[in-house]
Amino acid sequence: MNRAEFAEGTLSRRRIAVCVGCGGVGKTTVAAGLALAAARRGRRTLVLTIDPARRLADALGVGALGNEPRELPREALEAHGVPESGELWAMMLDMKRTFDDLVERFAEGPEARDRILRNPIYQHVSDALAGSVEYSAMEKVYEIGESGRFDLIVVDTPPAQHALDFLEAPERLLEFLDSRIVQLLIHPAFAAGRFGFRLFQRGTRRVLQILERISGIGFLADVSEFLLAFEGMADGFRDRARQVRALLLGPESSFVLVAGPSRESVRQAGEFLDRLEAYAVPLAGVLVNRVRRWPGGGEPPEIASEPPSGDLAALGAALAADAGGEFPAELAARAAVEGARGYARLVERDDRETLALRQRIDAQGRFFGTIPEFRSDVHDLAGVERVARFAFGEPEESPP
Amino acid sequence: MLASAWSSARIRRYSELSAARLSDFPGAAGVRPGSLREAGLALACDEPRPLLERRLVIVTGKGGTGKTTVVAALAVAAARAGRRVLVAETARDEQVSRLLAPGGPPAGHAGRTLRPGIQALRIDPFEALAEYLTLQIRARPLVDLVLGNRGFRQLMGASPGWRELITLGKIWHLEQIRGPDGPLYDLIVVDAPATGHGLTFLDVPRVVVSAVRAGPLRRHSAYVEAMLEDPERTLLLPVALAEELPARETAELVSRLRGALRIAVDRVVVNAVAQPPFPVGLEDLDERLAHLPPDLALGALPSVPELAECARHLRARYELNEAYAALIGRLTGLPSVRLPYLQEGADSPQAIESLAGPLLAPPRREAA
Repeated sequence: MNRAEFAEGTLSRRRIAVCVGCGGVGKTTVAAGLALAAARRGRRTLVLTIDPARRLADALGVGALGNEPRELPREALEAHGVPESGELWAMMLDMKRTFDDLVERFAEGPEARDRILRNPIYQHVSDALAGSVEYSAMEKVYEIGESGRFDLIVVDTPPAQHALDFLEAPERLLEFLDSRIVQLLIHPAFAAGRFGFRLFQRGTRRVLQILERISGIGFLADVSEFLLAFEGMADGFRDRARQVRALLLGPESSFVLVAGPSRESVRQAGEFLDRLEAYAVPLAGVLVNRVRRWPGGGEPPEIASEPPSGDLAALGAALAADAGGEFPAELAARAAVEGARGYARLVERDDRETLALRQRIDAQGRFFGTIPEFRSDVHDLAGVERVARFAFGEPEESPP
Repeated sequence: MLASAWSSARIRRYSELSAARLSDFPGAAGVRPGSLREAGLALACDEPRPLLERRLVIVTGKGGTGKTTVVAALAVAAARAGRRVLVAETARDEQVSRLLAPGGPPAGHAGRTLRPGIQALRIDPFEALAEYLTLQIRARPLVDLVLGNRGFRQLMGASPGWRELITLGKIWHLEQIRGPDGPLYDLIVVDAPATGHGLTFLDVPRVVVSAVRAGPLRRHSAYVEAMLEDPERTLLLPVALAEELPARETAELVSRLRGALRIAVDRVVVNAVAQPPFPVGLEDLDERLAHLPPDLALGALPSVPELAECARHLRARYELNEAYAALIGRLTGLPSVRLPYLQEGADSPQAIESLAGPLLAPPRREAA
């Protein structure tokens, strides 16, 4: 797949673009670049970020938490090639609030809602509950997608230990709620603090007694009450989880995997790909960010560790002439050549480390692209525009 | 090793405690969570003491920052100084053991000696749970009944937090072990999990203490919390890279350590710091190169624009690195220990040896 096709498919044909990848590879920056590239093609675009670096957040106008989309000013967008019809909105997700929203929505009535929100177990586990944060993010995408306010929603997924937590989390949560012991624990007798161990089979009864002995009186009752209240939400939650999943894996979405050029980052990207394939995720391509390139492109030249002394002398003399006065000509010439040699090694290393990933993606007929390492970090719209150009090209390159 | 009379007394008391069974500990043995903080002892954490004076160093940092390298280097440095070191790994793949004793068998939950003076183990939450239950229930058949129960296994599979809690409990237990001449280990280095901010892991005992009303679970969590919050014994050692994201995350980590979770932290390890690319006096070599005529005949050398561009990249990377190292100092208010970027990679025993010395250097304030 070439870049124009990749850009067309990701930016113009779908409603949702999901940026996945490990932490520290500049995923947020690429998500912002993707969103700007779409806006430059005249689409009404929202980028939903999770945890942007402060200055990038400021550049996108989402420095403060809001949980509501904010539009970037028209002048700023025009300066970066966004036409009249294009819009760029940004939003930073407030995880805790999103999960509370979820409880508000699915709890059976205000009494059940308050019971959950006030439960000591909920207060502590709502951020720890496996994958709930990821789930909340996806839930928000669904909600905004339903509103029809945007042509394209770009999602910057939370950095996750497990590649696809945001897809798998709802299922794990439901599995947990469906498990036998949870079903036992939500027996009303527990919540009331009366331990109906008699109701259970002998083995189970014994296990529960032991658990109670270790965990302390009252703990199981708290857990039970929490689970009982949560159980009431399960049906609404289950339906919604299914819809979110269908949307993300369906024909209206595309995924972009963002990676870095280091060996570790490429290894993690490979693992990510395995998982994405197992889920039949609609992956459009891979973007490797911060790749070092030889000036002017192409392969770096062979640079001898001990270059011809005449060449070194020529470089030294030119530097000395330019500097005037006392100047360590040979030291400077050697340092310049040594620097170029060092940089060439870095360029070769990035190329070597990413080769297997490139071949794998090429063989799948998907897009493999690189974004060069810029001299400074991306922290303003100009930087985001550079990313957009490198990753997606110019709007007119897209087929009509 | 621990100088103050207060702490020797404290150690003595712990050693008496450890002679007893875990389950026999009196509930309110003066290790009430927060009591140390109230006594003002947490203030001591602002004065950096030599790393090796602690008994427990918890190394934390996001994946890719070189946390494992720092754990291994600290173990080597401590062993060189004659300390008996235990490395406690929490990740399944035992990276520290592989670094320090390549090709050897895995240490596993039972542990093994990697080198003279350095032992390692990988804490397996299920094994640790079995040990804990055995101490609690005393009757092995009952333990097997619990662990073999399908519902119990399902519950454990889905419940958040218990792996962290039992792992920390195991570390607490290891810290309590005494030989005939005092503590079995002079220093325990923990390779903490690289999840989230690394703090979710350490926060679990506190959460349990505040969420559970009474009983052994709460009591034992309080012991663990007291160990973590004791600045005489425990130090958290954050590892960062001089880059935007790790810098911000380290700042957030440190600010959380000053909030609800009070674990002593007195320095940041800034890893893989780029060295100055050009000799002193030639810091602006890229600009000098850019001044030269682009078509200067240089024979076998790269062209002037290529040399200038390479130099510009190296200088920009170096200066950015310096700026972020300074930012880490400013945001955290902590001095730092810098470890150099190693061209050949930091994943060989030789590289670890070379980092052991610099790691023990007194931390320095970054220039603003």
